[in-house]
Amino acid sequence: MTTITSLDYKRPSWIRMNVQAVFGRSLPRVIGAYREPSWIFFETVLPILGIAAYVYIYKAMGAPDYYMGYVIIGGAMTAYWLNVLWSMAAQFYWEKEMGNLELYMMAPISRMSILGGMALGGMFATTVRAVSTIIIGLVIFNVTFVIVDHILLVLVFAFTIFALYGMGMMFASLYMLWGREAWHTSNLLTEPIYLVSGFYFPVKYFGFFMAAAASFIPITLGLDGMRQTLFANVNTGFLPVWMELVVLIVLSLVFIVLAKYMLAYMEKLGKREGRLTMRWQ
Amino acid sequence: MAMRNLWRTFKNSAWLGWQMESNWADPYLFAIYSIVKPIAGTLILVFMYIFLSYAGGGGPTNPSLFGYMYLGNALFMYVAQVLFGVTWVIHDDREHYQTLKYIYISPANFYVYILGRSVSKIAVTTIGVIVTIIFGVTALGIQMPLSNISWPLMLLGMSIGLACIIAFGLALAGVSFLTARHAGGMNEGIAGIFYLFCGAIFPITVLPSWSWPLASVLPITYWLYVMRVAFFGLGSGVASYDAMLAGYDIMQGLLILTVSTLIFIALSFVIFRFGDYMARKKGLIDMTTGY
Amino acid sequence: MTSYAVETRELCRTFTSKEKRGEPKKVVNALENANLTVKPGELFGVLGPNGAGKTTLIKILSTLLLPTKGEAFVHGHSVKTESHKIRYHINMVCGGESSGYGLLTVRENLWMFSQFYGIPSKLAKGRIDELLGVMNLQDKGDAKVRTLSTGMRQKMNMVRGFMTDPAIIFLDEPTLGLDVTTSRQIRLFVKEWVKAETDRTVLLTTHYMMEADELCDRIAIIDKGTVLACDTPENLKRRVKRESVLRIEVTGMGDAKPVSGIKGIHAFNAITDPAKGVTTISLILDEESAISDILSAITKGGGRIQAMQKTDPTLEDVFITLVGRGLENDNDNQP
Repeated sequence: MTTITSLDYKRPSWIRMNVQAVFGRSLPRVIGAYREPSWIFFETVLPILGIAAYVYIYKAMGAPDYYMGYVIIGGAMTAYWLNVLWSMAAQFYWEKEMGNLELYMMAPISRMSILGGMALGGMFATTVRAVSTIIIGLVIFNVTFVIVDHILLVLVFAFTIFALYGMGMMFASLYMLWGREAWHTSNLLTEPIYLVSGFYFPVKYFGFFMAAAASFIPITLGLDGMRQTLFANVNTGFLPVWMELVVLIVLSLVFIVLAKYMLAYMEKLGKREGRLTMRWQ
Repeated sequence: MAMRNLWRTFKNSAWLGWQMESNWADPYLFAIYSIVKPIAGTLILVFMYIFLSYAGGGGPTNPSLFGYMYLGNALFMYVAQVLFGVTWVIHDDREHYQTLKYIYISPANFYVYILGRSVSKIAVTTIGVIVTIIFGVTALGIQMPLSNISWPLMLLGMSIGLACIIAFGLALAGVSFLTARHAGGMNEGIAGIFYLFCGAIFPITVLPSWSWPLASVLPITYWLYVMRVAFFGLGSGVASYDAMLAGYDIMQGLLILTVSTLIFIALSFVIFRFGDYMARKKGLIDMTTGY
Repeated sequence: MTSYAVETRELCRTFTSKEKRGEPKKVVNALENANLTVKPGELFGVLGPNGAGKTTLIKILSTLLLPTKGEAFVHGHSVKTESHKIRYHINMVCGGESSGYGLLTVRENLWMFSQFYGIPSKLAKGRIDELLGVMNLQDKGDAKVRTLSTGMRQKMNMVRGFMTDPAIIFLDEPTLGLDVTTSRQIRLFVKEWVKAETDRTVLLTTHYMMEADELCDRIAIIDKGTVLACDTPENLKRRVKRESVLRIEVTGMGDAKPVSGIKGIHAFNAITDPAKGVTTISLILDEESAISDILSAITKGGGRIQAMQKTDPTLEDVFITLVGRGLENDNDNQP
């Protein structure tokens, strides 16, 4: 056996280390997307079927055309919500079950980098799903988008994603300790969130207080803002778009900071209770 | 003796399924969880209908469509949940608990094991469906008098329908022997096909005409029709809302449902056996692929 | 600040089960007042049967679990308050570990883990190749992890743990379930690694006595959460050297227990191989005069003596002396 030499390198800065960690953890998703191309079918063709059903129910009800557009935008954003919920937050639970979580927890990096890596790695497939939903909406259902303000649209989308992934990181802190509760919670947060966040109808109709309460879920205002910038002259917005953007920026900051503290707190709790590495709970 | 063994396998796998389904939470929490999810799913459609009606300046004006959509959506929970429950057995046992190989090599009948595991899903879904229907009748004013319900037809339709859904689940379970982490997406998609093409929440005639032949060969179409007749009566506004099916009498509906179910059961066995064979051939019975 | 690579002071860890209706909470003491010190450059072993508290100790030291009471320091930092500082200097490999992603190749998996330690990508790739070569795993570098055998997988885990060149590595039963050749390769690798630089430290847990004896500079014997002894293997064995260690192989003897009551026996252990029908009785004697009584008790019990040997003490004998039973009573003891 040969001598094993020392590893001679200067430890990078904390930021660089975490950037490396983000790219490192994104690898399994990227490679997974490449080696298991069947996801293209599962993530693009199949989800559109469910979304199409909501389009046709509006047709059956005789709704104006822009309602179909609402469904398409809601359907596209579903991809991000599901990615946050299942492929990032709940992934900590799966990692624990697979025996990887303890290796992540032992590494000298922020837990947010691991989650960021999962998000980044899943972003490609998620975006393909979202874009394909929109393309199908344009081609099959002849939805017409009239973009009122490109910059505003991009900003609303970007901060919706930031806030959403921040929220997902907060959930991840819980899922770090949970067993099957994690899976069931994600399950529970699917349809009820579709409902209160107005994935398929304008949230304005809930009334101010209900819509305001739902706005704590970033996708609520994100969807509302995007719809307002994509469908001109339709008066179904909850708040003015600029106001929604401000709230989304605040939510992004609050959720990301909260996520940092929650992850640290739950990790400590897990270490105290011995649940951080407990499998098959 | 053989029957006793099958019964024991069924009983134990049903117990296992129930434990996996429910023992993660306090019973009260589990009860709330079991109800909130289906109600929320149903309320999406209810709000779509109500908001649109009010946005138009009037109010809810089409009770037949509403009843059609509401019952179809409630019953569709069986398709979504049971299909998922059956398919997930393979994925969960293989990747998560890593017990699939041990069950596979045991002398227990694998079909009976899967059937037993799905019983808890059926039980929980049944509670969700009942709660949803009661909610619809009491809170949303759906006209469904108990005296009008044809109980024998409902039970018969339900039995055949469930057999059909489980068979679909079995076929997908066979496919998930060979796939990595797509069991969820596959269910979502196949359930989506049924949701879209089988007249679950809107009449098939709303769809482009090229899709009608597909609806006419899928047993779920006839199951939903038979169940609407059982709940609302033949010739009622709800049961006859879909022009494509309104021409069928109930015996025709039942006959087509039974025959198409039998065909799909046979097909499911073939698909399952093929997936099973290929998994063994490729050494995938105990693969773990999480990424 | 401590100059030790690892130091524990009165370290305790209890696990409390969730309260269920009608059932009281159960409290398990996994570690009780453990005091250990490991010097930099040492290959330190923790020997004990299953459930002795070895993995709990490793989890606390590797910052995955907090102690209930007491303190532990790794590389001079407290596991309670400075875990983030410790993580730059440690790594861990567990036996039977199933980490990584089955869909990725060995190299891809290892590269991913290297990025969590900030190793520059090119350097990491070179290091991975180097260690795969040392482990005779270079041919499998591009194989998907899910296609690896248990032994290959464990070799990959060893590469994962060692590629970051940690100052302190925790090895939790690293040869668990491996064949003789792979176990030997792994032991050799660990020995070479720790020898190659002066301040590389290994803390190894095992229930294989031979492994502990062969590898470790010092060994702590642990049972039911308590550290019973801690010394070099030679010194530990010297504890029983003054006494006589006797091994007797007997056939046709149903119950060897009556032998244990004979005056002059310090410690007794008996293991029966049902396939061969042979009972191996290990005895540590205070007085050699007890031998004649022992032989007559065996004959009276219907046993026929196949072999009798006076031996040098092993760590098993040390364990029997300290605990009152053999390690083999709890474990399959083939490394």
